[in-house]
Amino acid sequence: MSTTTETSKAQTEPVPPWRRFDSAAIMILPGIVFMTLAFAIPVLNLVADSFRDADGLTLAGYRKVLGDPYYVGIIWNSLKLGIVTTLGTLVLGYPAAYALSRAPPRLQVLLFALIFLPLSVSIIVKTFGLTIMMRRDGILNWLLVTAGFVDRPIRLVFTEFALYFGMVNVFLPFMLLPIYSVMRQLDPRLTDAAASLGAGPVMTFLKVTLPLTLPGIVAGGSLVFSIAVAAYVTPGLLIGDRYMTMSQVMAKAYLNIRDFNLGASMAVIMLTIAVIIVFASTYFAQSAGRKGGPS
Amino acid sequence: MSSATAAAASEPVNPRDERYLEVTGVTKRFGATVVLEALDLAVGRSEFVSLLGPSGCGKTTLLRLIAGLLKPDAGRLHVDGDDITRLAAHKRNIGVVFQNYALFPHLTVEQNVAFGLLAQRRPKGEIVAQVDHALGLVRMKAFADRRIAALSGGQQQRVAVARAIIVKPTLLLLDEPFSALDRKLRETMQIELRHLLRDLGITSIFVTHDQDEALVMSDRIAVMNEGRIEQLGTPGEIYRSPSSLHVMEFVGQSTRLAGAVESVSAGVAEIRTPLGVIRAPVGRMGARVGEAVVFGVRPESMALGDRADGDFNHVRAELADIVFFGAKTALHFKAPGVDDRIQAEVARVPAGLSPGSQVDLRWPVTETMVYPAP
Repeated sequence: MSTTTETSKAQTEPVPPWRRFDSAAIMILPGIVFMTLAFAIPVLNLVADSFRDADGLTLAGYRKVLGDPYYVGIIWNSLKLGIVTTLGTLVLGYPAAYALSRAPPRLQVLLFALIFLPLSVSIIVKTFGLTIMMRRDGILNWLLVTAGFVDRPIRLVFTEFALYFGMVNVFLPFMLLPIYSVMRQLDPRLTDAAASLGAGPVMTFLKVTLPLTLPGIVAGGSLVFSIAVAAYVTPGLLIGDRYMTMSQVMAKAYLNIRDFNLGASMAVIMLTIAVIIVFASTYFAQSAGRKGGPS
Repeated sequence: MSSATAAAASEPVNPRDERYLEVTGVTKRFGATVVLEALDLAVGRSEFVSLLGPSGCGKTTLLRLIAGLLKPDAGRLHVDGDDITRLAAHKRNIGVVFQNYALFPHLTVEQNVAFGLLAQRRPKGEIVAQVDHALGLVRMKAFADRRIAALSGGQQQRVAVARAIIVKPTLLLLDEPFSALDRKLRETMQIELRHLLRDLGITSIFVTHDQDEALVMSDRIAVMNEGRIEQLGTPGEIYRSPSSLHVMEFVGQSTRLAGAVESVSAGVAEIRTPLGVIRAPVGRMGARVGEAVVFGVRPESMALGDRADGDFNHVRAELADIVFFGAKTALHFKAPGVDDRIQAEVARVPAGLSPGSQVDLRWPVTETMVYPAP
């Protein structure tokens, strides 16, 4: 009884103006200030650069990037790299995330350490390690020859295979972790319920597990895709100029030929692609979530 | 409905119907822990049997074994004569209503209920008609298009029941389905579900740790403890003649007193206690002179008054507490040399009775339940 009166009193008392601010909203201020300085201003500068050169306003950069088959091919290269990396990490990461979420808690700690370990190794070191592994006298060729897949060592370094292999390796944790975090919230009794209703493993996966873990796939997928499209170091070391990407064009434009307009145009196009991917996948994840994802 | 049950009970019983579900020598271990030890259970066709016991007694494990969600380490399971021990869960056609209902959150009410029929690849028209019928049975037709998250606990439970019964399961397993509901709703749902399952004639196994729920709903109750069934019987049998101290204490309230057997004659033992000599029938137990025993008395067996003739035991105790429950009032007494409170129930507290009063209590000798001291 006494608690009821206290609550109603608290509700009727006028709120002082300084308390009307949502305290959670204030928490975002430092981040906004930092990102304005570190991200928003440089990006606006970049967008401005893409529309001007030494002589004034121009669309030359965009005309070049979107009109020249060479540059269109490079945009497609980047997109293909993003798609293959996303699919590769998904195929490996999804079952692994499932196993991880169902492992005993102690084992989960150990497996988590194993997932985070590669993230703590410098990407340069990791990529050089991969090139050593893929040399003619490297362990991968030795395995292929020993297993009888090939007669003699084949060229692996600086091939598209090496590129995808390395990209999947680098980006796998970024796919696995979001899927894992959704998978962990999936009530195992839902799959039990499906089985008790006569659904076999395939139907249970397609009708229950997959739709409910879709938000994790979308999150992991958009994360991996947007970083992989922009990847610079790994493609540079694993395949180099044989597979030009948007990032490499930007680097060359800025560092070698000093064509800021070209570099900025390419950067704006890449940014546009990334933004479209992020918004589309967020929308997709939300509509999947509205249908009842474990969000 | 009750006339239908009576008719069914009077019909000659096919032995196969009496052992519709047969659990034989089922053992289940998790690591070094033995959860179920060579357990036997037979459930008749259309019977409603509760597995009642404290948490950790193995009742949910037994339910999951019957559903096929766990595999036994030893023993066999038969339903209607078919050995289902090695059959995968999704091929058993055994319905389950889970504790948290386990409704599919990404599907509507209708889609949840249709799930089992989709799994059976039934024609669309049939599915629509059946779903409509099942939702009608649980009075949820108006909610067909709702999302699961938009339903109350009681509504979710109804959907879970509809989803489970639509496939006409050979058995329906219910794992504490009322534990998430508030008390008032729980009582309504218990009666409602009991009627529905009885009308449909579905053989049901119901797991609960709530003795009231088991007493209200069951044809028979299996009281479980530490991986074994301690007693299997009708609610009346379980309540009035519990086979062990554990069953007596787990089901219903009781006053527990200790003593030593002084003499046994004509199946009645005289037990020396701090409150004097108490007489008790020792039919099942066969007490020996000098043996330490524990006995119990249900609160409603206790009456106020001192008519201590041959059919009644009599003690004198001090009233400690008066606990008002509405329809009944519980009286708690203390007596020298007795650790537990002596409990009695009365409809009305007699005038002049207050804490501190010395009161005469009596109860029928035949309602004294006696067991070897643990």
